[in-house]
Amino acid sequence: MRHIHFLLLAAIITAGGTAARGQSPAESPRFSRHVVAVFSRLGCNSGSCHGAVQGKNGFRLSLFGARPEDDYDQIVRQASGRRVNLLDVEQSLLLLKATGRLPHGGGRRMEAGSLEYRVLRNWLAAGAVADDVGASQLVSLEVTPREQAARAVEKYELRLAAKFADGSTEDVTALASFASLDAGVATVDAVGRAQAQGVGDTALVARFRADPAVSLVVVAREGGGQLALPDPPSAIDGHILAKLRRLNLPPAELADDSTFLRRARLDVHRQLPTAEEVREFLADTSPDKRERKIDQLLAEPGHAALWTLKFCDLLKATDFGVYADGLDEQHEAPRFQAWIRARLAENTPYDEFAARILTATSREGRSLEEWSAEVVALAEGYATPRKDLDLYSRRQTLDAYWQRKEAVGVSGTLQVAHAFLGLRLECAQCHRHPHDVWQQDDLLSFANFFMGVRTVGFQGENDKRYPDESQLAKGFEQEGKKLAEEVKQLKEGRGKELAEKAKQAQPEINRLKNEIQKGGEAAALSEMQQQLDSLQTTIAENDQLQREIREKDQRSKLLTDAIPKRIVHSQIMHQAGDEKSPRFAKVTSPLGTQTSQTFRLPGEREPVALGEGEDPRAKVVEWLRRPDNPFFAKAIVNRVWAHYFGRGIVNPPDDLSPHNPATHPALLDDLWREFVAGGFDLRRLHRAILCSRTYQQSSLPAAASAADRANYACFYPRRLPAEVLLDVLNQATGTRENLDMRYDHWPDGMSTVEIPYKPRNGFVTFMLEQFGRPPRNSAVQCDCARQGDASLLQVLSLANHPRVRQKVADPSGRVASLIRETEDPQQRIEQLYLSVLSRLPDQSEYSACCEHLATTATPEEGLQAVLWSLLNTREFILQH
Amino acid sequence: MIGCQTFRRHSRRDFLRIGGASLCGVSLLDMLRAQSQAAGAPAAKAKSMIVCWMAGGPPHTDMFDMKPDSPTDYRGEFKPIKSKLSGLDVCELMPKLAERADKFTIIRSITTMNQPGDHSRAPMYWLTGNPRLPSGTAEYPMYGSAAAKFRPGPAELPTFAVLGKIDHHIGNSIAGSFLGPAFNPFIFDPLEKKDDIAKMLAPQLELPAFTKNAELLKALDKRLRRQDGVDPLIAGLDAYQQTAFDMLRSPKLRAALDLSEESDETVARYKDHHLSKYRYPSGDPLHFLLARRLVEAGVPIVHFSLGYWDWHGENFVAGRQQIPMFDAGLSSLLDDLDERGLLDTTIVLALGEMGRKPKCGTEKNAGRDHWDYAQFVLAAGGGFKRGCIVGATDKLGEQVTDNFYKIESFGRTLYHLLGIDPDTTVYTPSNRPIRLIAEDAPLVKEALI
Repeated sequence: MRHIHFLLLAAIITAGGTAARGQSPAESPRFSRHVVAVFSRLGCNSGSCHGAVQGKNGFRLSLFGARPEDDYDQIVRQASGRRVNLLDVEQSLLLLKATGRLPHGGGRRMEAGSLEYRVLRNWLAAGAVADDVGASQLVSLEVTPREQAARAVEKYELRLAAKFADGSTEDVTALASFASLDAGVATVDAVGRAQAQGVGDTALVARFRADPAVSLVVVAREGGGQLALPDPPSAIDGHILAKLRRLNLPPAELADDSTFLRRARLDVHRQLPTAEEVREFLADTSPDKRERKIDQLLAEPGHAALWTLKFCDLLKATDFGVYADGLDEQHEAPRFQAWIRARLAENTPYDEFAARILTATSREGRSLEEWSAEVVALAEGYATPRKDLDLYSRRQTLDAYWQRKEAVGVSGTLQVAHAFLGLRLECAQCHRHPHDVWQQDDLLSFANFFMGVRTVGFQGENDKRYPDESQLAKGFEQEGKKLAEEVKQLKEGRGKELAEKAKQAQPEINRLKNEIQKGGEAAALSEMQQQLDSLQTTIAENDQLQREIREKDQRSKLLTDAIPKRIVHSQIMHQAGDEKSPRFAKVTSPLGTQTSQTFRLPGEREPVALGEGEDPRAKVVEWLRRPDNPFFAKAIVNRVWAHYFGRGIVNPPDDLSPHNPATHPALLDDLWREFVAGGFDLRRLHRAILCSRTYQQSSLPAAASAADRANYACFYPRRLPAEVLLDVLNQATGTRENLDMRYDHWPDGMSTVEIPYKPRNGFVTFMLEQFGRPPRNSAVQCDCARQGDASLLQVLSLANHPRVRQKVADPSGRVASLIRETEDPQQRIEQLYLSVLSRLPDQSEYSACCEHLATTATPEEGLQAVLWSLLNTREFILQH
Repeated sequence: MIGCQTFRRHSRRDFLRIGGASLCGVSLLDMLRAQSQAAGAPAAKAKSMIVCWMAGGPPHTDMFDMKPDSPTDYRGEFKPIKSKLSGLDVCELMPKLAERADKFTIIRSITTMNQPGDHSRAPMYWLTGNPRLPSGTAEYPMYGSAAAKFRPGPAELPTFAVLGKIDHHIGNSIAGSFLGPAFNPFIFDPLEKKDDIAKMLAPQLELPAFTKNAELLKALDKRLRRQDGVDPLIAGLDAYQQTAFDMLRSPKLRAALDLSEESDETVARYKDHHLSKYRYPSGDPLHFLLARRLVEAGVPIVHFSLGYWDWHGENFVAGRQQIPMFDAGLSSLLDDLDERGLLDTTIVLALGEMGRKPKCGTEKNAGRDHWDYAQFVLAAGGGFKRGCIVGATDKLGEQVTDNFYKIESFGRTLYHLLGIDPDTTVYTPSNRPIRLIAEDAPLVKEALI
């Protein structure tokens, strides 16, 4: 069964079809071949109707007709056989309901006399026999034409040919259903008649039973004369411009320098350029200034900070705290983040980056003692400043990845597939994936590679299972208890004593100080000074002792609680299977239980052989690194592209499915193969994209290309991500936010992009929520978890949130400093524009500002109004 | 011009959202049906809903499900009194509600059965109609978020308003959903002078100055607009900005939040028995009054928490403080709504995430622990029967013995009354089609008119 899907892929590539003509499926319909196809076509076996888990109204069909034997049983034998009437076939419930002659929750699905009706009717009339399911299994499905260049409103027909396991071929167009991936480019009706609508390209998807086939259609723009295209300055541009030529769409002009600078800085570095930087850049006349600026930006540390955020989103770096494992968000999330950031700052090759995450263990080959020393050092490093972050970032592997909730087993596999392969496999947990090629067995066989990773969390038997760790942990606990005793004794003994003395000493000290101030004879003064000194020594001693007590107390708490828990319950390692941690993946759902006992990688036919006790994750990494791996490099290259352009070459970027075709397949191919050949170097990839003409285009398209949203005829504006927007707001207004996270040992002055998890500051959390910060929930595998939509509250908060107003009017903010810097109103307005919108105002804008300034009571008020206005323009909130 | 943005009735995104005609087995017919789903939904009985969330779990055997004949270590310190509805006895501390028992329904047989239960998980089960965990399950929408998406109120008012500050007690009863931040609850605290969000709803400048600034903005916001049409993202932002400014200029919402428009007598009625000091957080009964005003102004869904009822200790001390206040506030609300003819179109709910353990002992400061197996729900208006009891518990008040319903039934009943089809398909971010309430369950028909 699983082979069919790979053959399907082949089918899309091979040309031509050999559809048998003449034979109508109604003539001698077979159950699994034709009748089930009718159910799929009419939507009877869809997930919202009888294909639902509980079926509908007691009638249940297999989802998408995946199990024709069960369907046969349901129809012919269940419900006491009431669904069919072999003596008077037209009175069968099956027909009466579907044609609406009896009340049917799904409405009238077919008309009496239609082809679908005749298929069902004739099958019933022939005795409602079951057929040989094997003979009707699909070998290949071919749609013609495979590709079509059409003109607007031109019509053409799709035909679908199916080849079956018994060697027969049939034209199944009449039993298929059709849909267009973009109805604005081309539509297709229920019988396969396609019509081109608007300029662009898209895929028309035909489906027979459960299997799809894809037909591409390209609709070029009419007229406009000879298209004048610029010379492509890079390979990327070559592909983009070639397609624009095919579509006859003119590209936009290059963006001006201000726009380029703002755009590049925000995309690389998540900050606005300063006014000085803009002026300098505008004044620079060298022809390669953009390239040099790009190199400069890529070298700045903010670049790593921005991509740390993106990777932490993808890898869900905050979901800690499985039961009693000694881990929590406050401790672990910043460590996770620090490790990622270190790798990005070093420009670690991406394959190594993935390897060091996927094969992570806590001990990394070290002895238990060495590892536990690290655990203690990390625990003690949780203070201000957080020394543990540097320590953790030096680790070879990221064991924190596996210590999160849902990080192992089948749910962990879903995360790995999403993050590293750009695949969404959730649907395949319980059934065949509805719009991709994956079967349950594919997912479970892949999950087996990750079943050996130890699950963190308290289990009663952990003490027995890990005796060495348990021993060590007990040692720590004892040490901790001893320390706690010491602390208690100190507190009740010398500590109390000294504290009393210090308390009594203080008023005496004050008195002596006063006396000494008053002056007097030398001998008395010097005696008082001596007394004062000795009393102050007492105070100092007490402070010292109290500090010692506090430190010992803290350490004792760590030793008795967090550290032993980590050692026994949270060590990540690979374990051979036993009954406690099953070796093979299994999923139980209302649709049944399924398991797989092989180790097979996605898209591969043959299982992988493993050595005894070998960590299978290493095999996964080996596979990822293969230069022909179809997902790994493609996924990251596509995601990086999506970061710069707002959409992937395959869009959405986490749906690398053959049924989600790329807009520029040759471009994607070139990009990812070069990426692999060049050693998985991410910085080179960034640079290549940033230097392309395509990236540097204006966001104002040529009039003829105004409707394009997928072929890069211009730069598509998009909303700034939540964290970046907040940082940019702070920059523009010259203010900061107190994140109020001292207690969690966050450093002062942390930018919003750098936060490891939600801070306490109410304004910041409100804005982050409104502007779509992803919740990093392990149940959701989707790049869309970060929301890019617009909403009313976003606009309302930028316009009228009291805190935003405060920022605008802040006495040490942008307006205030402008007032101080210069008297000249023109300078002030210019400086404001440069600092907020990174460009100079044009004449009409400048006049509007001056006019307004003339009407306000004070220049402050006027400039604040201008600043407020600029913050509320489209330009500010968008990347354009 | 063929192919311009507005012509694309079903873009790629819609395709994925509605289910991919034919790939997910949904034909074009269904695609069009999905479009008109809102129009084809059940006729709405209720236009609005007010939820008084009693966080922590109020003690059912001390309020609406009293068991005076149970043993002394179950009975507790309160006595029942007769109510206007024969067969319903309520706690002696609720004389006002007793008199109005012909206005509401008491449901005794819906409970989470601890699947999931407890503070962290039961609230979202009740408030979304799906067992929703803090992490690891899809983020099903709260009823208000679904209303914001499928039956939004007027554009210049929030559809789903949540009143009060969200602290750690009630943090797990309010959340966003996979529908997206545009449909999240709109949380603000109008009774708190310093609440930023409440302030955000009124222009921070005097109206003339605000208008002048808005004009300046218009003059400066000319870039990025194409001659022949506008990018849809920009058009969306422009539309929202227009609405936002209208909202700021219109007095509707601000007036609704202005309690100075109410007479002293009214305020006193709502605040009757409101003490200055409480053993547990008490909430503010003025939220009942604000809720009424918001509903009158047209806000569809209002939700607030009334204190914390997790009385593991000093259950009866707290009860004496909290229950009369609850009695006064809720009675006033029911009276006012009925008087204004709004009760029939406004659902009023008072419930918590669980009940409390019927066995409490006879110690002086006895408390009641969690009890996920029985609790009460008070439901009035909007299609709920006037004067009705649904279901029953055993003689100790521990287990449901009659007419058990799952939470899904409760959720489906609410959606039914609000005119939203609970089988509406929505899409989780992983593109899994899922119904608003995933499981089938019967409506609580005994409670409905």
